[in-house]
Amino acid sequence: MNGLLAVADLRGDPRRRAHDRRMRRLLGGSALVTIVISALILFVLARGTLDFLRSIGWDFGILRDLNKAPGWFPRRERFDLLTIFTGSVIMGMIAMLVAVPLGLGTAVYLSEFAPSKVRKILKPIVEVLAGIPSVIVGYFALKFIAPNIVNPIFSPDQPRNMLVSGLAIGVLVVPIMASISEDALRAVPSSLREASYGIGARKSTTTIRIVIPAAVSGIVAAFIIATSRAIGETMVAAMAGGRDGSGPRTLNPLEPGLTMTAAMTNAAGGTDQVNAGAPFQVLFFVGLLLFMMTMTLNVIGDRFVQRVRQQY
Amino acid sequence: MAIVTESQRSITRAEVHQTITRQSKHLPSLALGVTLLIAVSFTLLTLFALLARIVTQAIPALTEKGSGFLTDTIGSEASKVGIWPGLFGSFGIGLGVLIIAVPLGVGAAIYLEEYAKQNALTRFIVVNIRNLAGVPAVIYGVLGLIIFVGWLKPVTNGGTVIAAALTLAILVLPVVIITSMEAIRAVPLGLRDAGYGIGASRWEVTRDHVIPYAMPGILTGTVLALARALGEAAPLIMIGAITGLLPETSLSGKFTAIPMLIYSWSGRPDSGDSNVGWSNAAAAAGLVLLVLVLAFNIVGILLRNHFEAKRVGS
Amino acid sequence: MKLKQWSLLAALTVTLPLAACGGDDGASSTSDAPATSEAPSTSDGGSVFVTGSSTVEPISIKVGELAGTAEGGNLKVTVEGPGTGDGFKKFCAGDGDITGASRAIKEEEATLCADAGIEYIELAVAIDGLTVATSPANTAIECLDKAALYALIGPESEGFSSWADANAIAGELGSAYATLPDAPLSIYGPGEESGTYDSFVEFAFKSISEDRGTDMVTRADYTASPNDNVIVDGIESADTSLGWVGYAYYKAEEARMKAIAIADKEGACVLPTDETIADGSYPFSRTLYIYVNKAKAVENPAIAAYVDLYLSAQGGEQVSAAGYVQLDSAKQQLSVDAWTARG
Repeated sequence: MNGLLAVADLRGDPRRRAHDRRMRRLLGGSALVTIVISALILFVLARGTLDFLRSIGWDFGILRDLNKAPGWFPRRERFDLLTIFTGSVIMGMIAMLVAVPLGLGTAVYLSEFAPSKVRKILKPIVEVLAGIPSVIVGYFALKFIAPNIVNPIFSPDQPRNMLVSGLAIGVLVVPIMASISEDALRAVPSSLREASYGIGARKSTTTIRIVIPAAVSGIVAAFIIATSRAIGETMVAAMAGGRDGSGPRTLNPLEPGLTMTAAMTNAAGGTDQVNAGAPFQVLFFVGLLLFMMTMTLNVIGDRFVQRVRQQY
Repeated sequence: MAIVTESQRSITRAEVHQTITRQSKHLPSLALGVTLLIAVSFTLLTLFALLARIVTQAIPALTEKGSGFLTDTIGSEASKVGIWPGLFGSFGIGLGVLIIAVPLGVGAAIYLEEYAKQNALTRFIVVNIRNLAGVPAVIYGVLGLIIFVGWLKPVTNGGTVIAAALTLAILVLPVVIITSMEAIRAVPLGLRDAGYGIGASRWEVTRDHVIPYAMPGILTGTVLALARALGEAAPLIMIGAITGLLPETSLSGKFTAIPMLIYSWSGRPDSGDSNVGWSNAAAAAGLVLLVLVLAFNIVGILLRNHFEAKRVGS
Repeated sequence: MKLKQWSLLAALTVTLPLAACGGDDGASSTSDAPATSEAPSTSDGGSVFVTGSSTVEPISIKVGELAGTAEGGNLKVTVEGPGTGDGFKKFCAGDGDITGASRAIKEEEATLCADAGIEYIELAVAIDGLTVATSPANTAIECLDKAALYALIGPESEGFSSWADANAIAGELGSAYATLPDAPLSIYGPGEESGTYDSFVEFAFKSISEDRGTDMVTRADYTASPNDNVIVDGIESADTSLGWVGYAYYKAEEARMKAIAIADKEGACVLPTDETIADGSYPFSRTLYIYVNKAKAVENPAIAAYVDLYLSAQGGEQVSAAGYVQLDSAKQQLSVDAWTARG
């Protein structure tokens, strides 16, 4: 006020600065919560896994069922990992067989072919599909995909089987596949397309030879992230997969199958923690494996997404 | 190609003109177009079939029960059940997400975008958040079972709405953070510089300028997170929701939620003699959930579109 | 550590007010401490929590609905059905006022309860017949005896994929049904958490397992599900299926399954019906129980009111409505006596 300005004045009111520091700590704290969550997830899973391994006496042989009819029978202490792993992989593969053509096709159409009016309507519809809860897709699998599609064509022994469940999981991940690939396709600079048209290429040639190759890392990312979702999907597999507790190992998609996720929900089964012992603790072991599988896929997928960002 | 070279002088002007302008019946182009249209129509058809199946199956239960379907409790007969305890539980879960995940998530996003230095720790936090977003829901269920039902039993009283709300709040936290970070990143730098220029502190600039400007984006994230939390069932199976009989609803007692009812009911047999079976009840509950979730989603998408359009215009 | 404080603080500050409002809404158990949460509230009839067998669950639900709506009834009964075994584990950990059981308590479960200092009263409430069933399309099989069932589903049958595979063991055991057809064998039943599993093993295998020195278990490789509807679907869909479910489920889904008659000691085939189950001539009939936590029943009059209703004539009607067979009056009286003598 007196016309002279000291350095201290420029630093502002100490009370305001103190408040700023407090807010910084508070906000920083909320960011750190996310690290705590990851640490807790890892801790809970690792501790439970140790308990499980101790319960089975570090006998890793149990994890590969060598009986006449191998399978996942936790209450019998027969934990054949291959059974639930192949279950997850088969249903995941069926899901991707649905999601890749539908999702990628929709993405290419939206990004390259759709007139802007159509796009404006179609894109939100795809997003609506993305918002449908998995338990409703599970219902759809039981009451539509099984009786109206799979049964008439393949007439499987069981209405609930890996094909039904895989198709429904596919429906669930189509929007993920579509939206990440569409982002990648739209990130391709229009100069590339124009250059292609400039030398006389047709739209189809441009799309297939120029745009899709340029966006390939984003499309791969979409594939990987969608695969990770498909493997981590629980409700559809539990409702429509046909096995929710135990079952023999099978590679036939028309037979019922068990995923890692469904095996987990069944082991927990809402029985709190009184259900101690290996049949319960295996939940953590499977959880840890699933966590590592999906995390690896997500990290790789994320790398590809970042690459698209950096390229353009 | 129609590039005229020495050896092709014989091509007339008219022929060149025709090559360039004619409507091509090029087979690969046609094939690609048809393939894409098939893919798109299959996607749309699936969505349509899903909605149609839910709605047609829901009608018998809803006409039988009317608004009683929302206010009655669960029970032993498909034609008499309502989803009130499920609504209560889902409402509690939504509330928990609003109270826990939103402040925590927005706070973390502000820190990461406004305060954090670009160093290894920050990068680690961001990568970690992206990973958390991809962790399967069933694993959050394990976390909820051990931590919120087990360790924090004195606070949550075991498998209650509180435990479920905490678990789902943590599940959707990464969604809130990621969308809020994107919204905050889109705030023009000039806005901040102007604030600092007149001597405002970082928090003052954030509170008075950045947050209001990023609000629509933050709201979008909130709404999408809510929709996600309302639809999740896998963590609730782990926590132990009730699907038998639940006449009283409270925050500290046993609970259930709409997705759990759909899961349980769609697994029950339809008795032949009644015109309202369990699959109708499950579809009706599914319709209520869909309406809730889709309403939230549509609000979120509209908000974001509105927000993007404004951003481009400014 | 600082990180942890943050998260805990965040969790606590947010949840404490929630917990507090939870306590305020009157109808519920009012305390955060689980041990005292069963204190009866004055404004209504009080709360009861029933866990245990999914077989008994439908009866408990129906009685619970009655307790909530019947004249003068204002009890709040919460019912879940994780399974007999899981129910006992919870019950013996002090969680749950009543647990339903489709078999009597096992020794190790009784020890678990005793160790936790939990005293209980066992009350028979209904009779259930265990139905062995196949697909309606299967015309080759009408009746089986225990030896044939052991040969088909017992511990020595692992890997058998055809009915005929079981003929050797069945013959060895002197079964009258050792000429089973060569048709694919797919088996559906409840899993080991279920009392229906235990009952089946007990009925069909016990004597044979003891003679042969094998474990009293089924083969592991069958489709086990806690969801009876999945079992019914399985039995209906595979043409030469074999499975077992509770009688109530069979009765509700009679069109989709064909019951297989069971040969009694004299070799006469008996089909499960209300009559054969009630008079005990059907070999696979069993008693359903509820177990009541004594201390909680003293503390919380709502539990006593609920059990009174369960054992009353009205409760008996619910047993029939749920598809089970009522106890005869002598056995019913035994339960009532046991309950009134609880002291």
